[in-house]
Amino acid sequence: MLIKIRSIANIGLETVPVDVEVDVASAGFPGFTIVGLASKAVDEARERVKTAIINSKLDFPPRKITVNLAPADLPKDGAAYDLPIALGVLLASGQLENLDTDLTKSFFYGEISLDGTFRPTRGILLLGLFAKQLGPNTIIYVPEPSAPEAGVISGTKVIPVKNLSALVEHLSGKEKIAPLNSRVFTESTDSIPVEFDLAEIAGQEQAKRALIIAASGGHNLLMWGPPGTGKTMLSRALPGILPPLTNSEALEVTRIYSVSGLLNPGQALLSRRPFRSPHHGISGAGMIGGGSNPMPGEVSLAHLGVLFLDEMPEFPRSILESLRQPMEDGTVEIVRAAGHVKYPASFTLIAAINPCPCGYLGHPKRECKCSDKQITKYRHRISGPILDRIDLFVPVASVETDKLSMTSKDSLNRTSSRQVKQQVVKARKIQELRFQKDGLYTNSQMKNSHVKKHCFLLPESENLLRMAAEKFDFSARSYFRLIKVARTIADLENSDKILPNHMAEALQYRQII
Amino acid sequence: MKVNNRETGRLAETLATKALLEKGYSILESNFSNRYGEIDIIAKDKDILVFVEVKSKIGTEFGLPEEMISRGKLKRIKNMATIYMKGDILPCRIDVVAVVLSQNGDLVRLTHYENVYM
Repeated sequence: MLIKIRSIANIGLETVPVDVEVDVASAGFPGFTIVGLASKAVDEARERVKTAIINSKLDFPPRKITVNLAPADLPKDGAAYDLPIALGVLLASGQLENLDTDLTKSFFYGEISLDGTFRPTRGILLLGLFAKQLGPNTIIYVPEPSAPEAGVISGTKVIPVKNLSALVEHLSGKEKIAPLNSRVFTESTDSIPVEFDLAEIAGQEQAKRALIIAASGGHNLLMWGPPGTGKTMLSRALPGILPPLTNSEALEVTRIYSVSGLLNPGQALLSRRPFRSPHHGISGAGMIGGGSNPMPGEVSLAHLGVLFLDEMPEFPRSILESLRQPMEDGTVEIVRAAGHVKYPASFTLIAAINPCPCGYLGHPKRECKCSDKQITKYRHRISGPILDRIDLFVPVASVETDKLSMTSKDSLNRTSSRQVKQQVVKARKIQELRFQKDGLYTNSQMKNSHVKKHCFLLPESENLLRMAAEKFDFSARSYFRLIKVARTIADLENSDKILPNHMAEALQYRQII
Repeated sequence: MKVNNRETGRLAETLATKALLEKGYSILESNFSNRYGEIDIIAKDKDILVFVEVKSKIGTEFGLPEEMISRGKLKRIKNMATIYMKGDILPCRIDVVAVVLSQNGDLVRLTHYENVYM
């Protein structure tokens, strides 16, 4: 008998339906074959499905079983076809009859373990989104541990299945599984511990201010200074001041984490903004994304969050240069022989560098031991185009000893991350209202047309910018980036117009090393 | 001491036939052979044709009889079965009977594996 079960395949962030056709022949030598460009993981489903069926006290038919995954020319990967194959075998061998569910409107997706229980599977959120598009009568059957992922999408009926026997009981109408209630799941971000609080960092007022601007408007920030002054500490404090993800942002980010399989079982929507800090030993595919079945890289995992590159000059040049396109477009397009995939990658770059190889160039007390040639070579590791895409440059100078003292006045009056976060959230709210119709989230994502529409410069501010642009010979890109930074500074002060002092502050962060 | 393998094989096949008959199988043919190979027993379990390979061992010092069944051996049985069925596709399967004998030819263990495939 031939049975057709519906499932899906995820190509990047796109979802396409896949028909799992299972045939159990009545004649011929027993065997189990899977065709339809199945990868090794799919092919191994044979052993998992066979053992799981036997261990669930059901019969594995001693007959010739053929499974076809259609469309046949689309490569399929992952263990998610275990569930449709197992169900297909049970149906095709006549062990399950008189279903009261419409198989053409049901989607099955999940990995099975040898004892018949379903394991957490990646990409469930995408299945949920796909099912929602198909209409309200669509039912999806997913492993129970991963079901909350799909539960965040209202309008889709999600059946969380614990094991194969439960699925059989449900489909035969003996013991129904209650569909998962869709709910907006938000975990409180305040309860998540942060590595450092801004209040712990001594001095560095300018850098802290720049950090607030970067967090508010999503601007790229580069911090430079001698070793041990707190560049890394400042960056690590950033997650504590980043605003939580809004619902639509959370959905975008969670989609990426869902296909990467980085969501914990039971986790629904991510509410915390991503903060990724890859080590400089990273490979190109790790940063941008890649593989024969292209997976998202760090730039996409940092989507709508922060990509922190500590010791930026230590990164291989080719990898830094590959950041150019995503930094400008907010997306990466990965092209492989198997096809091409587009992932969103709208991240805020935070970089920390030393001024020279020894680190003490320009230090008030210590002498720099580098030769001119060494310094030039070090500087050349980061190219002009990358620096041109950075909005804020801040020196992080060494801290005077009296500021470090635990009992100093300064240490008691420092603003905490909690206070700063409120400021940032307020500035983001203003931006949210502004970009309601544009589909953007932050000032840094504005295209030039948006800049013209949303950034009203007072004539004095424009003059100031023009003068600076002529004197320092800014590129057209820097020119617009400066306006965007000024826009964020104005937002932080709740000002509609960009005043000269906002512009002046924005210009102040252009002091390139 | 030289053991006559052929003798051992015959003995094991007799034991296997007896075991199959006890299970209610009907024996259609023994030692069906031609230039391509041999099927030890061809039987019928209800409506299903069963091609049986009997594998025997004296003692288990040199491995279990089960270990001697390889993908290639099953392939050969399958090809032979196709010849027997004259190309027809009928409900059928391959069984393996593993027989362990002691040094003096007593039966130590006889296991019947239904529906073997790799």
